Amino acid sequence: MPLVAQQFLLLVGKDLKIEARSRQTIGLVIVLGLLIVVVLGLGLGGGAAVGLGATVVLWVAYLFSGVLCFEKTMAVERSESALAALMLTPISRGTLYLAKLTSNLALMAAVALVITPAGVLFFSFDLSAAPVTFGAVMALGIVGFAAIGTLFAAVVSSTRLQGGLLAMMIFPVALPLVIASTQLLIHQFRDGLPVGGMGLGVLVAFDAIFLTASWLMFELVLEP
Amino acid sequence: MRAAGLGKMMDERSVLISIDLSIAAGEFVAILGTNGAGKTTLLKILATLMPPTAGWLQLFGLDVPRQAAQARARLGLIGHQSMLYRDLTARENLELFARLYGVENPRRRAEELLSIVGMIERADDAVKTFSRGMCQRVSIARALVHEPDLVLADEPFAGLDVPGAAAVERLLSDLHAAGKTIVMVNHDVLQSLRLADRVIVLSAGTIAIDQPARIADAPGILAELAGTDRRLDLMGERQCH
Amino acid sequence: MSSVQGRLIRSYWIAVALLFAADLVLIIRYTPDEQTMGAVQKIFYLHLPVAINTFLACLTAFVASIAYLWHREGWWDDLAAAAARVSVQLCAVVLATGMIWGRAAWGVWWTWSPRLTFSLILFLLYVVYLVIRSSVEGRERRAIIGSVYAIIAFLDVPLVWLSARLLPDIHPGSVQLEPAMKMTLLASFVPVTLLAVGLVVTRFVLNRTASVTANSVQASKPRDIRTAPLVTGAALHGPKAIRQANGAL
Repeated sequence: MPLVAQQFLLLVGKDLKIEARSRQTIGLVIVLGLLIVVVLGLGLGGGAAVGLGATVVLWVAYLFSGVLCFEKTMAVERSESALAALMLTPISRGTLYLAKLTSNLALMAAVALVITPAGVLFFSFDLSAAPVTFGAVMALGIVGFAAIGTLFAAVVSSTRLQGGLLAMMIFPVALPLVIASTQLLIHQFRDGLPVGGMGLGVLVAFDAIFLTASWLMFELVLEP
Repeated sequence: MRAAGLGKMMDERSVLISIDLSIAAGEFVAILGTNGAGKTTLLKILATLMPPTAGWLQLFGLDVPRQAAQARARLGLIGHQSMLYRDLTARENLELFARLYGVENPRRRAEELLSIVGMIERADDAVKTFSRGMCQRVSIARALVHEPDLVLADEPFAGLDVPGAAAVERLLSDLHAAGKTIVMVNHDVLQSLRLADRVIVLSAGTIAIDQPARIADAPGILAELAGTDRRLDLMGERQCH
Repeated sequence: MSSVQGRLIRSYWIAVALLFAADLVLIIRYTPDEQTMGAVQKIFYLHLPVAINTFLACLTAFVASIAYLWHREGWWDDLAAAAARVSVQLCAVVLATGMIWGRAAWGVWWTWSPRLTFSLILFLLYVVYLVIRSSVEGRERRAIIGSVYAIIAFLDVPLVWLSARLLPDIHPGSVQLEPAMKMTLLASFVPVTLLAVGLVVTRFVLNRTASVTANSVQASKPRDIRTAPLVTGAALHGPKAIRQANGAL
């Protein structure tokens, strides 16, 4: 196995092991996501936004729990200045980024696995028409979201800034994801049109562009 | 290691001004100075973690930052914070760093180092259960995992009790005896004079004193350190870290 | 600032004001009223040039940010900040004019149409940039973070545009322009563009003088003037250090 892949796996393994031991982040993030779904379900439920409302509600839940998740995975590196030690090893900054991104994605996947069924349930969203499409669209969205989230979390964690800054940075940039995925799913589930064309293009383009840009710029924002 | 004209501006402050430094292999250098004199900044620059805004730096004949990656492979850093993952065990931490550095037989190296620093009985306990002194010892092990030639230590005795400090002193002396180059930032003047070959005093970003420890003028150094306290106002506000 | 510069600046702004006045005359008198919407439609003549200039300001911030990250020269960052600030100001105008137009055309102040949504998101993107800049301490850190964000934000702009187009549009299609309208539209570009450029340059100069002042304040801080330790240090380092030490006294 090439050295880069080994280092990558080491780092991801380290993050997941820490998470498994402390269970700090995962618990918080899942509960937060669930609460958001419940609150919005209570507020909007009963006719106002049944069915497709779930998509947007899920996105809101992903956005807030995602931000918390990204903050906490970076905080692990900062707590005892372990990041400085990592930066002294022969690991490239790009590998560090990919490893952090993968750890974040793993955590977000766990969150999604819990709150997506909850959202679908509370909003009586009938997925039977195209469950795979739904899953794929949301997955593409979360990947893009994590791509910029990982970069921005590194930026914010290295400065003594007040909370809420990470959310403020990520949300506007992530809006195309929210719009594209919700519109795609509306066309699929309400109008029965097959998924494709521009909506999908936006999601894929977003992921490709921001994965690359964040990967390239990660080393600029890292500060021990 | 050689450095010339090193300067560092941070937040519109001149933290370091025109530092010229030349350290030979195997030397044990102690850097003293009051808070705000620029010691930690200088050490970070020497560790290649921070680029200087002026001047150049050569480590082991390698140009930093161009060949920084190669230089990093031969240096180890000990800081105020342990730079360990609190939820992992001491052994797991050391094995992780050993593997990242590409050390042969990481398992054995971790055991070896844990024995050297006297933490082998607690090898499989999570770092968050350790006292500060124990953390510091594992941190030293972490810094040595790839057998660096240069060890940089930023106030390694901070927050340690007497036995903890004694243990660290012993470790540093052993490293020195083994031929490693050590650059240590410290507050305790007499301790530094005892441990080090050479003493440098930083004052307001410049080198005020640079003397071999044997002939160093201890009262003079103390006066220098005491004197600069008054001049801290001129440096502007120092951020609380 | 010298008086020659002062006079040039004054003449510039007078010229811009005059061009605007002339443009308004064209808009009000020369162009015909559009059938469906009436006189309010004429806001379009300003809306489009301002929108284009907003985009150009965002592009400037993007290029300046990349240049800063490449060269690490402070003035690139000052330019990026100036351009972003102006883009927020211009975008506010785009939003306002878009909303007025929308009210006249469709009877509502807001609708999630592609154009309005796009303007709103663009506005938010760059407002965040300004907030970030004011939150980060330390000039170098602020510049790096700002540049990274400006690059990401600009890369996001086409994606925002494309995704906004997925939204249902109340008023599809473009307006048909008679020759008189086309000419006025083109003419309107001149004062608006000059205004935008003027704003960016003014802001840039402001930023620059602020940075330069901050730098010089630092350089004049008095330093340690104890002589004995400096001489001891110099003895070890040689004549060069003695000269430097003397310079510091």
